[in-house]
Amino acid sequence: MPPKRTREHHVRQTYVSTTTIDPRVVAERTRKHLDQLERSNYAETSIMSVTGDDNEPGKYGKSRARQIVSDKRNLKLLGSSPAATKKRSTMNVRSALLYPKNLATLIEESGIASLPASTPTYLTAEAPAPSYPPRLICSVCGYWGRYKCRKCALPYCDQNCESVHAETRCEKRVV
Amino acid sequence: MTPTIVLDNGGHTIKAGIGGTDTPAQLIPNAIARSKSKSTTYFGHELLQCTDHASLSYRLPISKGLIVDWDAQKAIWDGLFSTDVLGIDTTQSSLLLTEPYHNLPNIQQVYDQFIFEEYQFASYYRCTPASLIPHLFPTTTTTTTPSPDCTLIVDSGFSFTHAVPLIHGRPHSRALTRLSIGGKLLTNHLKHLISFRQWNMMDQTHITNHIKESCCFVSSDFARDLHTARSARSPNPLTQEYALAEGRLRQPGDSTSSGSSQILVMNNERFSVPEIIFRPDDIGLNQVGLAGTIAHSISLLPEDLQGMFWANIALIGGNTKFPGFRERLLADLRPLAPVEHDVQVYEYPDPITAPYDAAMRFVSTPAYKDSVVTRQEYLESGSNATRRKWRVSAGEEKEKEKEKEKQGRSKSKTGTARKK
Ligand SMILES: [Zn+2]
Ligand SMILES: [Zn+2]
Repeated sequence: MPPKRTREHHVRQTYVSTTTIDPRVVAERTRKHLDQLERSNYAETSIMSVTGDDNEPGKYGKSRARQIVSDKRNLKLLGSSPAATKKRSTMNVRSALLYPKNLATLIEESGIASLPASTPTYLTAEAPAPSYPPRLICSVCGYWGRYKCRKCALPYCDQNCESVHAETRCEKRVV
Repeated sequence: MTPTIVLDNGGHTIKAGIGGTDTPAQLIPNAIARSKSKSTTYFGHELLQCTDHASLSYRLPISKGLIVDWDAQKAIWDGLFSTDVLGIDTTQSSLLLTEPYHNLPNIQQVYDQFIFEEYQFASYYRCTPASLIPHLFPTTTTTTTPSPDCTLIVDSGFSFTHAVPLIHGRPHSRALTRLSIGGKLLTNHLKHLISFRQWNMMDQTHITNHIKESCCFVSSDFARDLHTARSARSPNPLTQEYALAEGRLRQPGDSTSSGSSQILVMNNERFSVPEIIFRPDDIGLNQVGLAGTIAHSISLLPEDLQGMFWANIALIGGNTKFPGFRERLLADLRPLAPVEHDVQVYEYPDPITAPYDAAMRFVSTPAYKDSVVTRQEYLESGSNATRRKWRVSAGEEKEKEKEKEKQGRSKSKTGTARKK
């Protein structure tokens, strides 16, 4: 156990702050990268009209809002619900289908931000920040990142990875 | 008798079945995928028949844990209720449906609208997956299952990882804590690592997920494994080879010339990906790891109960299936727990279907009938009906407890009065 701690300690110690990059730029880059890791597709192409280019009006009529996909399927549902029949869906259901809202809008409209801090909500549940400093991992090979790039502050472990970093992703992209 | 449909609506898969039939959960992808090459679209269960997962683009109803795309969700649910899968008449059925932790009230209202207005279910019950787990508890206490009084459920799923404390089987939402790491992020992280180091997999979510599930493990000693993975460049004891064309791990007997040359070498990627759950700072996320998340959650609970929670932690969710997960969590938790407290972490045979299995038990008990809101009630008072019946916020719980106490006191008073 103790040798490892020494090692991590050592890693942190060896890093000398010679980078000139604004920490805010680094923070913004990290935020963007974390957003990217939440994506469902790398190229965030809109597959809203996932059924392709058929413009055939569905059950809800031609909508200026957007093409919806759930009304153009050939399924057999039992019973007499609007989902199972050609019956018109209720206004509530139609607006949920036709006018999707993004997460930020939904959170805003939920009003949870203005609740007293003692009321637990989606916004209050987040895990706290750590009390320990972050570990530095080489952005090229994944080993301990003993040094930081002077230009972009990404960690790397040795000269080999430093040159790969400089050639490929310096100031471009983070992993 | 009205059948009850159980639907654990996960961000990655829906676990679905019909109550009382004792059938195992059907796992239905909660996704719509479009194949560019074939210009075909697969909805939910149809993805199970899809054989070519290369270059699929996905549309998911759930984003950051919440349903934001109801069109996609309805398309998938329609398929699920249709004769293709469950073949049920929704108007003659009851539904148990899970929702995310800390679901938004305005989204909950849309749930009610779809269930009662679009599908016209006869009745339904909506709750979080962890809150179902107590139905798996045996009636007698054994040493192999957590105590039903105070349990902390760790649910590590597709969108997030949550620490959910249950007091007497009910979620204590004030202490519920979210770590913003889930299986989706881990797969994407692995995709980035592989694409930068070896093969461009940015478009290959499905196969990357399979690689993650077949190769990754949780390290019990990150520094040691990192060193091993680097020492002898290749191969080292941790190296695995994954044949991309065949979509499987290469076995020792495989001839070197078999198939194509598309071999992916998995080295420190095997453990540095799940490591993110324990050290989110490795990708720059400013949150404590899972052990710290659990410790934080426990610190928000009544002090006299905290010891019980340390000794009753149970794991559910797909990420907990990584080999070594429980051992690492135990090792990380021990130094965070007060010395006088015992730390225990329990597992279920299948952490993915545990909430479904629990729900199947629940819907066959008389208590289920008392928990549902009926369509009639909804028609009378709309979403107020569900809000009234299922409110669980910590404050309200306290209020209820106080009320019970009062009632208890007045009852005993009348009792004594009578005695006299
Ligand atoms: Zn390196
Ligand atoms: Zn750089």
